Amino acid sequence: MNIQNIKCRSLILKEIREFFDNRGFLEVETPLLSPHLIPESSIENFKTCLVSPYGDDIPLYLTPSPEIWMKQLLAQGSGDIYQICKSFRNSEQISPVHNPEFTMLEWYKTGIDSRGNIKICEEMVNSILQKETAPECRPPFREITMEEAFQELAGFSLEENIEISDLSARLDENGIPRNKDDSWEILFHKLFLTLVEPELPTDRPLVLKDYPSRLVTLASEKPGTPWSDRWELYMRGVEIANCYTEETDLTKMRDYYRLESIEKAALARVPVRSSEKWLDGMTDFPACSGTAIGVDRLLSALMGDIGIRGVILFPLDDIIF
Amino acid sequence: MGQIKAGAVAKGTFLLEKETPFIVVEREFVNPGKGSAFARLKLKNLRTGAVLKVTHKTQDALEEIDVEDVSSQYLYSDGESYHFMNADTFDQYEIPMASMEEMQYFLKEGESYKVVRWGSESLDIKLPPKMDFLVTEAEDAVKGDTVQGATKYVKVETGLTVKVPIFIKEGETIRVNVETKEYQERINN
Repeated sequence: MNIQNIKCRSLILKEIREFFDNRGFLEVETPLLSPHLIPESSIENFKTCLVSPYGDDIPLYLTPSPEIWMKQLLAQGSGDIYQICKSFRNSEQISPVHNPEFTMLEWYKTGIDSRGNIKICEEMVNSILQKETAPECRPPFREITMEEAFQELAGFSLEENIEISDLSARLDENGIPRNKDDSWEILFHKLFLTLVEPELPTDRPLVLKDYPSRLVTLASEKPGTPWSDRWELYMRGVEIANCYTEETDLTKMRDYYRLESIEKAALARVPVRSSEKWLDGMTDFPACSGTAIGVDRLLSALMGDIGIRGVILFPLDDIIF
Repeated sequence: MGQIKAGAVAKGTFLLEKETPFIVVEREFVNPGKGSAFARLKLKNLRTGAVLKVTHKTQDALEEIDVEDVSSQYLYSDGESYHFMNADTFDQYEIPMASMEEMQYFLKEGESYKVVRWGSESLDIKLPPKMDFLVTEAEDAVKGDTVQGATKYVKVETGLTVKVPIFIKEGETIRVNVETKEYQERINN
């Protein structure tokens, strides 16, 4: 990290705020310490506690994203909102693309679906380009569906191979080991991460869209299809952003909570408290689309692919190892 | 043979998959936006040299091979295999050339190397980080080309082509970084 990069980081963050301010988004600041989290079985969390002077200590968690709070604001009628905040994910390998504490940009725009957010994201990136930004990281974005990606890069249709037995057969054909008890999600990821993701074109930013709805998320489904209304943005093969048309059906949100809570309880090394109580206040949650961007990764890409260590002040492995 | 979590596997780890020995040549951790953490590995089949790409959950248990490094002298290649001799026991070891891409550039007859042994099978050759080579082909520096940092290509005794500073001459010895194949320094005899 040098002073030039620190200045550049500061400037780009100002430009991001300006972009959203000019479009009528409200900047919000929500708690990083939370007594409960959205259960996400894929994420390990950081746990701490409030030492009470009167009674029992209260467990608190560092939020892995501001989603739980921002969605409550939307349900309370906030309108379009954005936030740039620190987020925390435990047990991920510290690497050129991971730091346990990182900066996240998350925004929600009401009245649009995830397609509308591709456009906003593209305009936002366009407004913060640097002279060091490589052509591969500059808009226009290339869009490709998950089905197209499988057909072109793995050589088979995902839609026609959507059952566990099909996925298993495709893994065996490609010599990719699997375990008897691998879930649908794991089989899918083994195929996607081995055959598809490393081969995605890198000559332009890439929007990979229409993820299988069997990957249980809070993204809404595309009716009548096996896909959910969700995309991820890649720059030079690195995942930068994740966007959903948000699920607004309260029953489906509760279903997600139950499923993920069970999975999380079975898998998590840091068990967390998740409470459905906040969902009671979500009856007026508006139709909207939310995008989360790993800011450090985005800055690294824009500043000439210098790695997140080049844009984070005091990366964790520098200060603890 | 021991078990190792896929998340603990590193570049250079020896693994057994489907009864075949592999070495990990690349390792990357991936946390997809949704789903568990995965380790994406590129493995080299140590019998055929074929590369296999696999992805494991970081919690998956893999078979790690217990290997032994044995100091051995390089004898010759017969076009199919490299032949080595254990300096202590005089046992001869054979390693298929197919799995040892570019190894010919680093093997010098009579030199000592570490052969990685697994039971009665030789899996790999460990090279020192730096090696010295005799320059066997080098064109003279072009007169007048005195730009600082000017470089040229030379060939060394094993056939490896190395980019060197312009002052290196045929018959001199140079030190080369084995991993990057880059020139390090001139060795004055």
